[in-house]
Amino acid sequence: MQLTHKKAPINIKAALTIATSALLGTLPVIANAADDTMTPAKAQQESSWDFESAFLYYSESDRVSAAEAVISAQKTLENEAVLNLKLTIDSLTGASATGAAAQPNVQTFTRPSGKGSYQTQAGKTPLDDTFKDTRVQLNAQWTQPLAEKYTGSAGVHISKEYDYLSLGVNGNLAYDFNNKNSTFSVGLSYFQDTFEPEGGIPLAFASMPLAYDNDDDEYSIDEGGEDETVNSAGKTAFNATRRTDSDNKTTADIMFGFTQVINRRMITQFNYSYSKVDGYLNDPFKMLSLVNSEGIAQDYLYENRPNSRVKQSVFAQTKYHFEQNVIDISYRYMWDDWAIDSHTIDSRLRIPLSGQSYIEPHIRFYQQSAADFYQPFLAQSNAIPGFASADYRIGEMSAYTLGVKYGMKLSDGNDLSFRLEYYRQDPKNSGYQAPGALAEVELYESVEAIIAQVSYSF
Amino acid sequence: MKKNPIRQLEITATDDGYCLRFYAMASPCEVLVASKDNQLALTLGELIADEVWRIEDKYSRYQATSVCTAINNSGGQALAIDQETYLLLNFADTCYQLSDGVFDITSGVLRQVWQFDGSDNIPRGIDVQKSLENIGWHKVVFDEHQIIMPNHMEIDFGGIGKEYAVDRAMIIANEFTQLPLLVNLGGDLAANKPRKNNVPWQVGIEHPGFIERKPMVVSLLKGALATSGDAKRFLFKDNVRYSHILNAKTGWPVVQAPRSITVVAPQCIQAGILATLALMQGPQAEGFLTEQEIKFWAIR
Repeated sequence: MQLTHKKAPINIKAALTIATSALLGTLPVIANAADDTMTPAKAQQESSWDFESAFLYYSESDRVSAAEAVISAQKTLENEAVLNLKLTIDSLTGASATGAAAQPNVQTFTRPSGKGSYQTQAGKTPLDDTFKDTRVQLNAQWTQPLAEKYTGSAGVHISKEYDYLSLGVNGNLAYDFNNKNSTFSVGLSYFQDTFEPEGGIPLAFASMPLAYDNDDDEYSIDEGGEDETVNSAGKTAFNATRRTDSDNKTTADIMFGFTQVINRRMITQFNYSYSKVDGYLNDPFKMLSLVNSEGIAQDYLYENRPNSRVKQSVFAQTKYHFEQNVIDISYRYMWDDWAIDSHTIDSRLRIPLSGQSYIEPHIRFYQQSAADFYQPFLAQSNAIPGFASADYRIGEMSAYTLGVKYGMKLSDGNDLSFRLEYYRQDPKNSGYQAPGALAEVELYESVEAIIAQVSYSF
Repeated sequence: MKKNPIRQLEITATDDGYCLRFYAMASPCEVLVASKDNQLALTLGELIADEVWRIEDKYSRYQATSVCTAINNSGGQALAIDQETYLLLNFADTCYQLSDGVFDITSGVLRQVWQFDGSDNIPRGIDVQKSLENIGWHKVVFDEHQIIMPNHMEIDFGGIGKEYAVDRAMIIANEFTQLPLLVNLGGDLAANKPRKNNVPWQVGIEHPGFIERKPMVVSLLKGALATSGDAKRFLFKDNVRYSHILNAKTGWPVVQAPRSITVVAPQCIQAGILATLALMQGPQAEGFLTEQEIKFWAIR
């Protein structure tokens, strides 16, 4: 803190509240990263566990819905070390876009397992409705002061789904200077993911095989003879489109961060991150429609993406504490060597309603350009490119989120909050001429979702 | 120099609990506990009294072995400080900034020229001016590990020490028990919760020096109260009443200030500083607090 004269802020009460929190080591009114300049006076004492729990429900109209439960426990130990454990369980069900284009007729698709098929009605975006997964994720993070002005942190991550395993480690070093008003940090993380999808991993640009065993056909097993032979041949044909059962990818990240306390009301943060992903980056469930000059699908080919991706991003965030309200604005620019670049603007305004509760509107805008190998379909008249994907998530799009959160302090001092948000994603045509029938159908269908969350800390 | 009375703790029963009395920081102190458990009340009283005495020993300028004395005798040399001292200095720094230099923990040297004994003994302007040379928080350099106090300058935690002790006592007590309790150190006090469900604590606020006044009784559910001002400590000359609240920038008393202000705040140290900062506004004292939507009682 500088010993220079400053004009007294108009709200002396608020300024004193913050100063008092710093002195007594009680919780400041606004919780933000800047408050680590105010080391609690009673940090010598071992605290009990603090818990945070949240339940989130996400539902896309007609598509995926997800339910997620999170519990996080944190304990500050005698030597000011902090241990944080977090368990996340989420469950996804519903339908997700396969990448195939809508058609003026009914389309039949083989399920990813090869066992059975499903149909998509005319004019509808093909969705694979077998999307069902439960993920269990565990994170453990240990943070402690290493030396004067240095704080170190290390963590492990494990996440398991039915067909996916992710293991990760991370380390972070932070250096405080300028009387703890500035912090520079560097972080490294490494993840190893293994993907073992139902039905194996398809060959790039292999044609979608026919289903060889219909789940609904209950008596097929008993019939034996001919059917078995058909199934066996079907299975062989299916397997011919598969490259392997499982594959891996690795992700290495490095992040540099700089946090600056501007004054007792304002804090800013800047991050730069570099991320390199190598290995199997396709989505084994995604395909492209191969269409003729009339725009009618002749075949469905599995997608193929490059086996490496380098992502970089810069991020800036400012929090400002007004007399009453706290505004939080951030901007992120991300670019990668797939030619995707994206802009994210996120802003929240916390408005205290009384000493015990607040309301927080939230607005987020997102815009992204398409990957250079993105295309909504393949045309028979053109040669098959080296890489192609019709996954709308790497196509050009814009999205926004509108939400509101209401939080309150309960009489026992615990915090309870509710969040309700609306999300809308609008994929866009990044300059493809749709031939014939494709011009008549919706190739870039919007996705809408509702997010509801309840959080409780105790 | 004041001599410390014997450090002992007295316990007496009250209607719904116990009262523990001790003496610290030149004031009678008491802890009220709403519990019938005699042993628990006594333990609590000991914990609190020990903490208050610890702070007194550490920060009183009257104690030869205190941190305060060490800083004041450091002769311009860097002196190592601990985290608690750093945080207190930091808080004092904030108060200095907020008051634009009117509140300054180095202003104690003005006592050499101003003696508020009710007389008409107003110091000469030149003497006040001379004292000002040794005042100025901005001349003090400190960080988390050390303080460099310029030669001939002094600091004094008198303006925040007792209130800080109330808050610390409350923290210590709350770690030990969930029982309702009130800590009162010579009129600066705090309560952690209502005495019983929705039954407030009744606190008599003695306004130092107002002999003719009955103590003002205040109801407090929870939170803290602190009083600033002393009716006995003033000078009176040519029909002007000089209060003992000095403006550290001018070296002169604040004029037309209320004689006493009691402020309510979540923490005692906040209440104390708000009361002091308000007195420093002189005629605008009440307006200053009203504007900040702070609950207070002022006596003019």
